[in-house]
This record gives sequence, C-alpha cells and structure tokens, in this order.
Amino acid sequence: MLNKQRRKLIIPFLAPSLILYLVFFVYPTIKGLGLSLYQWSGFKLPVTFIGLENFKDLLKDDNFLVALKNSLFLFFVGGLVIFAVAFVFTSFLTSGIKAKDFFRGIMFFPNVIAPIAVVTIWQFIYNPRFGLLNGLLDVIGLGKFGQSWAAPGRIFPAITVIIAWIAIGYYLVLLLAAADKIPQDIYDAGRVDGANTWQMFWLVTLPMIWDVIGIIMVLWMISALKQFEIAYAFSSTGNVPVEAYTLPIYVVVMGFGMREPIYKLGYASAIGCVLLFIVVILTLLIRRIFKRENLQY
Amino acid sequence: MDANIKQSSQRNRGIDRLIRRITLIPMYATVSMWAFFNIFVILWIAIASFKTNRELYANVWSLPTSLSLANYIKAWSVVKMDQLFLNSLIVVSVSVVLTLIVAAPAAYILTRVTFRGANFITQFFTAGMGVPAAILFIPLFGMLAARGWVDSLPGLILVYVVLSIPFTIFLLTGFFSTLPAELEESAAIDGASPLNVFIRIMLPLASPGLLTAAILNFVSTWNEYMIALIFTTSAKNRTISLGLYSLQSSMQYTGDWVGMFAGVVIMMVPIMIIFVLLSRRMISGITMGAIK
Repeated sequence: MLNKQRRKLIIPFLAPSLILYLVFFVYPTIKGLGLSLYQWSGFKLPVTFIGLENFKDLLKDDNFLVALKNSLFLFFVGGLVIFAVAFVFTSFLTSGIKAKDFFRGIMFFPNVIAPIAVVTIWQFIYNPRFGLLNGLLDVIGLGKFGQSWAAPGRIFPAITVIIAWIAIGYYLVLLLAAADKIPQDIYDAGRVDGANTWQMFWLVTLPMIWDVIGIIMVLWMISALKQFEIAYAFSSTGNVPVEAYTLPIYVVVMGFGMREPIYKLGYASAIGCVLLFIVVILTLLIRRIFKRENLQY
Repeated sequence: MDANIKQSSQRNRGIDRLIRRITLIPMYATVSMWAFFNIFVILWIAIASFKTNRELYANVWSLPTSLSLANYIKAWSVVKMDQLFLNSLIVVSVSVVLTLIVAAPAAYILTRVTFRGANFITQFFTAGMGVPAAILFIPLFGMLAARGWVDSLPGLILVYVVLSIPFTIFLLTGFFSTLPAELEESAAIDGASPLNVFIRIMLPLASPGLLTAAILNFVSTWNEYMIALIFTTSAKNRTISLGLYSLQSSMQYTGDWVGMFAGVVIMMVPIMIIFVLLSRRMISGITMGAIK
C-alpha cells in the first residue's frame, strides 16, 4: 500500500536531480565526446568537422605524450607506493596497536587541507635554500645529501610524492574499514595456528578483502587520472611547465590557455575523450582482475 | 605434575605475549613517525606564519621573536581576502544545501520505492563519479557563457551542485538503504501522506547521512580551485582557494614565504574546525559507499 502511494512521489522527487544531471552533466559529456571530431577555435566561432584529425595530431604532440605518461606514471608508480605503504599501515594498525583511531585521523588529515595549501607547504619542504628537508638532513648530519628536490627533471616525481602523502591516509581509511569487517575469530584462529603478522596479512586479511581492494583500486585510478590541482599549483606562477602536465591539465591548457588564451576547443575535447576512454578501459580491467567468487564467511 | 604442565604453558603464554608486545614496537615507531611528520608540518607552518622573512631565512627552526599578526594582515589585504572569504562561504554553503535538496529526495525514491529502472538510474547517477570533469567543462562553459552565467556566483553554484550530484546520490542511496522500514510503514498506516512520511520520518532518520554528505561536499568545494579557475574570471567573483593561488604566485616572486604561510593558515582554519569536531563522521562517510 505504502509503495503504491509513494509511486506518486517518484517523478517529483527524481526530476530535479535527474534534469540537472542530464542537462548540465550528461549532455556536456556527450557533447564533449562529439566535439573531439571538430575544429573549434573559440566559443563564439563556428565549428568545422574534421573527423579523427585531432586524434591523429595528438599522437604527434609531444606535450600530450608527456601528459599521458605523467598521468599513467601517477596511477602505476604512485599507486604502487601508496598501496605498499597503506597496506603496511593497515596491517600494523590491525595487529593490536592502541590509539588506532588517533593514528587513522592524523594520517587522513592531509585529505582535508586545500590542495593549494598542501602545495605551498611542500614547496617549502622541498626548498633547496632553507627548506625543511634539507634542514632536517643538516640536523642529522647528512647535510651533503641536501639538494633541490623539485628541480627541473624531477618535478613530476616530486608532485607524485605529495599526492602519495595525501592519498596514503585516504586509502588507509578505506582498507581499515574493509579489514574491520573481517570476523575476529578468523584472526584468533590464525594466531592459535602460530601465524605472524606478515602471514596473517597475506593469508587472512588480503584474501578476505580482495573484492573491496578492487573497488579501492578503481577509486584510486579515477582520482589519479583526474589529478589537476596539485600538479597545476606546483609551479604556481600561472605557467605550468610541460613536465608537470597531466591529462586534465593539458585539457585546460588547450581549451582555455594559461596566461594567453588558446581556445583549441575541439583538440582539448579530444584529450578529454582519451582520458575518459582510459578510465573506462582501466575500470573494466581492474574489475576483471579483482573479480572472483565471493568468499563465504 | 599437572601443576607443572600448567605452569610451563602459562610461562609460554607469557613469552608469547611478550614477543607480540616486542613486535609491536617497530610498528608503533613507524606509524608514530608518520603521524609526527603530519602534525609537525602543520604546526611548523602555523609557527612560521608569525615570523618575519628575515627570521625564517636566518634559521628555519627558530621560534618567532614576537607574536605579530603582520603577515596575516598583509595576506588578508593583498588579495582582498574578505571578499574572497565571503564569496567562498556563500558559494559553498548554498551549493551544499542545494545539492542536498535535489539529491536527498532522489536517493530516497531510488532506494525505498521499488520501481522498474530504479537500479539503472542509480547506476546512471553514480557512473558520473568516473567521468573526469575535463571532458565536460568545455561544452558546459559554452552553455553557461551563452546565457551569461559564466563569471557569476550563481553560475559557479550551479556547476558545483551538478558536479556534486553523482557522489552525493552514491553516498545517500547507500545510507537510505540501511534505514529500517518499520517506522515508515507504521506512519503510513496511521494515515500520514507519503510526503509527510518522507519529511517527518525519513529525513530526521537520515540526518546523520545528510550531515555526512554536507560535510564532505563542504570540504571538497571549499578546497577546490579548478572549477573556480575556469568558471570565474573577474576578481570580485573569485573564491578563497583562488585567492591563495594568486597569493602564492605573487609572493613567490617576492620571496614572501611567511606571508604565504599566513594565507595557508587562513584557508585551513574553517576546515580544521570541521575536522576536529567531525573527523569521525567524515571518515565513516568516505567508507560508507565503497565498503558496504
């Protein structure tokens, strides 16, 4: 009876968000995909159909290849670091450490700081002249290793470290929540059988949360490929060096320009297309890898 | 003899416990170092924001000689922070509330009423979380520019609301589906209209979920600057994070690090307050959707 009455609410309750979503999210997304086949040099100018020309140009565009390489580097290499550390911390925090919530909170904390503030903090940490990192090395007598940490040539690795610093806390929270779902008696049984922390992690925790790890990987992949703000702010002079490009940055650079407007709108849309395509492919791939029959427990 | 066995097994258990305690030490050390670094960096920035640049250059580790607010006053006035702070407060609060107003009823209907297509529509919404904004903001910019909505606070609010819809519906459908059905049913039997059931019964029950969605949206919108950078152009419509961005750009030329630190602290204060009060809710919120 209730269900029947409530049916009257379906349309008025659903319409506002569905209309907003269709008009201002789905429609521009589809239009963006379509625009990749056009040449369009300004919002008020007409568009010209050029087929796959934009995509052909992308393959010859060195800046695009740098952006692509950086985005994938962040996902793979950054991801490797992030999950290695996050897994270690998860296994530590689930093996009986007190004040677990405190540690989790402090490690999550970088996630709530504005990216622009995070970048300012790290520029200072990296600063060769009076930065925290070199200062620290001096104090512990390793001053000779002091250097310009974010010098040209290693800008993107330096950016990746910052992103990892933030992301480790985020994925730690997710992994801990997943580990909390594992029944305690399985651990107790493992302990009785004499398993150590390391074995416990590989043989109990990891298999038990395998499917959740799949979801977490998809989340990381999407957030890595969306990465714009840390990398864009890192040079902070309003002119991002090519070395720091990610795919979303290159979309903005081509679509709007930095100091001087560019307005290669069709070309920028083609980059966005590639980005979306990679997200879809990697989502399917990750799902495939992490798919398996649900464990019974 | 029995007593002997008992004693030795007790001793073994004692040794086991001791070993376990000892293996915990390096674990404590590692997580403590990481936690210490996080706290230290923030404290350090806060302390340095009271120093002068000369003090900073002379010794990174020194404490400020006087508790002067000069850096704050400068950071505040250089980029006309009061305007930006107010803009951010308006834009972020309004878009957070509007997002809830449109997303909560939709999430409710999608989880509590069974109808054909409900599942599909939910997935259709949440698929938006995987769409990088980079693919859609060029057409969106064109659409808004054609109506004169670019570079205005209402236009920016619209973009924030639209971009928050997928995540908010994802979060709230997860939350609504955990609520018990009994209260709803008994209220309906007592003759309450479906709309009344939603407003009087379900919304109060769902308030922890709504609050979580509001906090997470508030923090992410307050902190973000990519959308604001693209969709606003004039100084009077910029938000606080863009203010910090331009502060960072101008002060890096002049080497005014302490001024930048003051800007960082100004930007962090509202978020720090939210985090200290509500970190538990935020943390449970980000796990709500991913780990069921």
